[in-house]
Amino acid sequence: MDPKHNQPSPINFWKWFNPIGRQAGGWAFILNRITALGLTFYLFLHLLVLGQLAIGPEGYNGFVALMRNPIAIAGEMLVVAAGIIHGLNGVRIVLTTFGVGVTRQKQLFYSLMTAAVIAIIVFGVRMFTA
Amino acid sequence: MSEKWNITLKVSRQKEGQTPHFDEYKMEVDPDEYVLDAVERVWAFMDRTLCFRHACHHSTCGACGMRVNDVEKLTCITYIRDVTHNGATLKVEPLRNFPVVSDLAVDMGSLYSRLEQVGARSVLPAPEAEIENPPATWNAADQQYIRLADCIECGLCISACPAAATSTEYLGPAVLAGAQANGLKRNPELLQIVDAEDGVWRCHSAFECTAVCPSFVDPARRIMDLRSQVVKERFRSLFRKA
Amino acid sequence: MTQNSAAPSVSAPKSGENTWLWLIKIVTGPLLLILVIVHLIVNHFIGETGLLTYADIVAYYRNPLIPAMEITFLAAVVTHSLIGLRGIVLDLKPARNILKIIDWAMVIFGVSTVIYGTWLALTIASKGG
Repeated sequence: MDPKHNQPSPINFWKWFNPIGRQAGGWAFILNRITALGLTFYLFLHLLVLGQLAIGPEGYNGFVALMRNPIAIAGEMLVVAAGIIHGLNGVRIVLTTFGVGVTRQKQLFYSLMTAAVIAIIVFGVRMFTA
Repeated sequence: MSEKWNITLKVSRQKEGQTPHFDEYKMEVDPDEYVLDAVERVWAFMDRTLCFRHACHHSTCGACGMRVNDVEKLTCITYIRDVTHNGATLKVEPLRNFPVVSDLAVDMGSLYSRLEQVGARSVLPAPEAEIENPPATWNAADQQYIRLADCIECGLCISACPAAATSTEYLGPAVLAGAQANGLKRNPELLQIVDAEDGVWRCHSAFECTAVCPSFVDPARRIMDLRSQVVKERFRSLFRKA
Repeated sequence: MTQNSAAPSVSAPKSGENTWLWLIKIVTGPLLLILVIVHLIVNHFIGETGLLTYADIVAYYRNPLIPAMEITFLAAVVTHSLIGLRGIVLDLKPARNILKIIDWAMVIFGVSTVIYGTWLALTIASKGG
């Protein structure tokens, strides 16, 4: 039997992402952590890919042509969505840390995420119709 | 006259050296009874080996905290009606992030010793107790009026906290809330305890602690306030040195 | 078997996290919110189609404000991301020696990334003549 059962342990990291039994703030935490990891991964990938620019027009234009397909655009939309969600959640964290809205953090979360959804839809429409 | 429900109580069992497992008990309950009553009835009439903690039965002692259908609850004030329905299952597990002593009873030692470390007070003078509708000003004489602090040290907040799931040394919501109630002005030695990786910076604003607190402590608000106290104090000390 | 917690008191080992690191994260955060909106708008909405060809980008980088903005964005996002990542690592309560290695790796990685990005931005800016 695992003597560490039910005690804090790094093995429990998957529990961060478990939404069962959680409420608004808990979902915010989950979203923030997932988007943080996703955006970090994307950041370094993005910088690597931009190295193509250094090669010259063939490198970059070829890459753009490769990316002009719905799957890649959907992938980019995911990144934009992650950025918007993470950013607005961060606003909630800054505000509550300095005492603003700390007794109404649920409403703060819901209104910020509503704003996020709207922003994502607006951006998405523009991206897919361009 | 009183309603009768038939439910299945699914209780987490774990004795020393065993793997945890669930035992199921079919029983008839009055939905206006509390979850703790159902657990007690299992012990009294079905299985005397069931181990659990309870004392006051009116949300003052903090002993009966458990996870009911995956949510932290103080079982003496949780109506069966609010957590299940007729014919359904009611799952009861021990609090998370504490070692299990036996079945539903966990070892709360780490919580109590950390509360002591930050000098958390269980009794506060009225002017410091954050009561509702306080007078416009307090007199010096008002210090004689004392009030029990809200925190009943039940540990629900630590069970619900996602940071406490992975960090063995994180002080946790109840402790940080207790530190905040003292404040850095009154207890400046707290600064290096709370301005630390195991202190306020391990909190990620999940607010799960406040969501499950049965005693209006609002630990998340207190941790946020403690954070701003820490930041202000650090800035102040910069200018003091210069 | 009661567990007595270790005492995080005056004699505790140096903490892995403090006010200043967190403040950098919390200041770069809103800064990034602004910068990322600017970055996204210019990348996708400038002109007709946004920055879709090599020529577009070189032209865009002619204005010295642009590489300045992008380099600031880079420094802020790498700092914010790595401090945040470190916070997640700290949640796992790593041993002090492992934390030291991770710290050094992050500093080296972060600084190299910013240098690389700065070099890239300035290279493109110089192509504009």
